[in-house]
Amino acid sequence: MAKLYRSREGTITAVDTKTQLSTLGSETAPGPLLVPSGAKMLKAIMAVASSDYAVAADGVYFVRLEGPGLQEGPEVIMIGASGVGVATGGVSTTLAIRMELDIPVTPSNEILVFGENAGEDTGSTAMGVTLEFVK
Amino acid sequence: MARTITVHGDINAIDTRVLLTQQGSVTAPSLVVPAGMTKIKKIIAVACIDGLADNGGVTFFLRLGGNAVLGGEQTLVHHAAGSQSPQAGSDTAPSIGIPFVLDDVDIDVSPSDTISISAEMAGVDPGDSTVGYTLVYGK
Repeated sequence: MAKLYRSREGTITAVDTKTQLSTLGSETAPGPLLVPSGAKMLKAIMAVASSDYAVAADGVYFVRLEGPGLQEGPEVIMIGASGVGVATGGVSTTLAIRMELDIPVTPSNEILVFGENAGEDTGSTAMGVTLEFVK
Repeated sequence: MARTITVHGDINAIDTRVLLTQQGSVTAPSLVVPAGMTKIKKIIAVACIDGLADNGGVTFFLRLGGNAVLGGEQTLVHHAAGSQSPQAGSDTAPSIGIPFVLDDVDIDVSPSDTISISAEMAGVDPGDSTVGYTLVYGK
């Protein structure tokens, strides 16, 4: 069964603040992320996040999925954490991770994707999420 | 049986779609899906930054489109990166782009049609970056 991949990204700039990921690079207004026609399951998500290391602090990052496209209601998924000891010179490149979920979805309905930094404020955090749908 | 296509390129501005058509010494590799191949089975993605811009933080993602990709454009995030400028006289850590290998991708493609492979970095500009991808086709 073929899979379909839809993505959103954004930047989280405050701790404990639900931040909608609503853009996709050069697409500044891609519109709602709709469950593709015929899709029955959110098979997995791929997610990645990176702080800019502007603050000597440590925190966690998670994704919130909400909206009418999720038959069973909202889900929250932890995707990573980072910390740095000094606010100068921090640098990293981080791999995305794929997590299998099998969440039932409703075709043509919207899924809202949010990111959040919790724990300590780690500065600005870029986050990207891909939803992997199967029919 | 599998076939592959590998491309790479530089991304030097945020929120800018960069079409990837290079393969090192081969300047124009064929982007036609090989005959008989009907799926993308695996994707290998790499990315790294030079970190020359302060307060950088980006997400890298791949766009697969063109006539060959069935089901519309597919977008996949694969890396993120961040950077701070070091104190004067200090060294800074390298940015290592360990490959992200995605198995069982299962994207339907049309054999003998052309695939469009592009990439972006989104967020706050960390300086220059390089990305590279291998698509593994199958049936």
